[in-house]
Amino acid sequence: MKVNKVKILLLASLAGLVLLTGCTATKAVKTAATPAEDTAWMFHDIVNAKFVKAHMAVPMPENVMMIDARPYKGKYAKGHIPGAISIPFSQFDKKINLLPKDKNTLLIYYCEGVKCKLSHKSAKKAEKLGYKNVKVYAKGYPEWVSLKDNYGSLSAEHVAKLIADNNTVIVDARPKKIKFDKGHIPTAISIPFSQFDNFKGKLPRDLNTPVVFYCGGLKCRLSHKSAAKALEMGYTNVKVFAKGYPEWKKTYGQSRATIQVQAGEVEGSIDLERFKSIIANNPESILLIDVRDADEFAKGSFKTAVNIPIEKLEPKIKDFPDTKPIVFVCPTGARSGEAFYMVKDVKKSLKDVYYVEAEINFKSDGNIEIKKPK
Amino acid sequence: MFKKNMAALMMIIFLLVSFSMAFASEGPDGNDRKGKYTYRKVYKACAQTGEVESATPTISPADKTMVQWQEIFENKNFDEFGCKDNWAGLPDKDVLDVYSYFYKHASDSPTPAKCK
Repeated sequence: MKVNKVKILLLASLAGLVLLTGCTATKAVKTAATPAEDTAWMFHDIVNAKFVKAHMAVPMPENVMMIDARPYKGKYAKGHIPGAISIPFSQFDKKINLLPKDKNTLLIYYCEGVKCKLSHKSAKKAEKLGYKNVKVYAKGYPEWVSLKDNYGSLSAEHVAKLIADNNTVIVDARPKKIKFDKGHIPTAISIPFSQFDNFKGKLPRDLNTPVVFYCGGLKCRLSHKSAAKALEMGYTNVKVFAKGYPEWKKTYGQSRATIQVQAGEVEGSIDLERFKSIIANNPESILLIDVRDADEFAKGSFKTAVNIPIEKLEPKIKDFPDTKPIVFVCPTGARSGEAFYMVKDVKKSLKDVYYVEAEINFKSDGNIEIKKPK
Repeated sequence: MFKKNMAALMMIIFLLVSFSMAFASEGPDGNDRKGKYTYRKVYKACAQTGEVESATPTISPADKTMVQWQEIFENKNFDEFGCKDNWAGLPDKDVLDVYSYFYKHASDSPTPAKCK
């Protein structure tokens, strides 16, 4: 009886061993088969971030082209490797003309990380077209932005969205007088790179606030240098708009198109903080009309304000342009509020009209104090 | 007994004061900024008909107290302003805005109208 039990135990152990071995063997076969299947779609020449960085420059060298193979709107527009152009894989054939004529140019494709096939597929197509120096940065954009000292670049459309959302600080890194003062992106503040250390105090206190730097386009390094400094300072959400002001002008024209004058709590009023920000950074973006009497205006007003006393306003309204938002000011909001309703009554086609509902103290020393009404 | 009466009296006084304060602080809830423009517009239109000489209103909110304006506007007694037809043709919403302008900038209001 005892012997039988031992036999049964032995048989059971043996069966178990066989089963286990069988399972392991199957698994091993599967594991061995997986890489072959999984890597079939991959391009044969994979590079890392170090390689990418070594071949990047501002402006991009003529013999290097970085190509983002992800969809434009959902991915590229929201952030891409600075200097990269967008040729989504789905539009490879349509946008073939964007590829360089010289087939020896180094093409570096990337997309959304190791599981993303778009860059690999694009690279294979490029190679078929005769390009001899094609690489894929397989870890792509997710790795790129996660690496220390790296940052993404945005499209003009996305910058416009950030301005509308009003939670990002846009910084113009170009020289103030010769560039910024002649035109800049709405709501941008001026911190010329040459004076970064003097004016870095204008940056937000909260290091997590998104900050976007721009300058004069793809050949301009100032935004990149400023971004590097901001990262050094500890800012955690730094981006550049590498195509910069030339691209902005091309897309939206001069400042006016997306000024986003935000309405305040009271009907017709402008949001007070937005008004202060416009006056500080972008006063030319609005037509500011001081409706006080001429003698009051002569004692001091906003630099860009024009004086049209309320009594003389009505006949002039028909000539008001619709190229800029119009904002009326006076010391209490009484006359400027009246001006607002006058425009609404006389020239209904003017939509972008506001008044400042605030206590404005035009001081004799030239300073202007703006307070929320009690 | 005397204490009870005193307490009741105090309570009544307190309620009366609270009630009148609440009532007094309410005032009309129109748009005083718009009311100012509407008032000037009424006067200007009136001047064009020749009923008044000046196109600029001669009556300012600071000419009366809040209670006085309340009486005028709640009774719709606009004789003092002249321009009877213009007032009669004004929609209730516009009258409320003008009332708000006069009330909020009355002589005893926190922000009495200045010359403008």
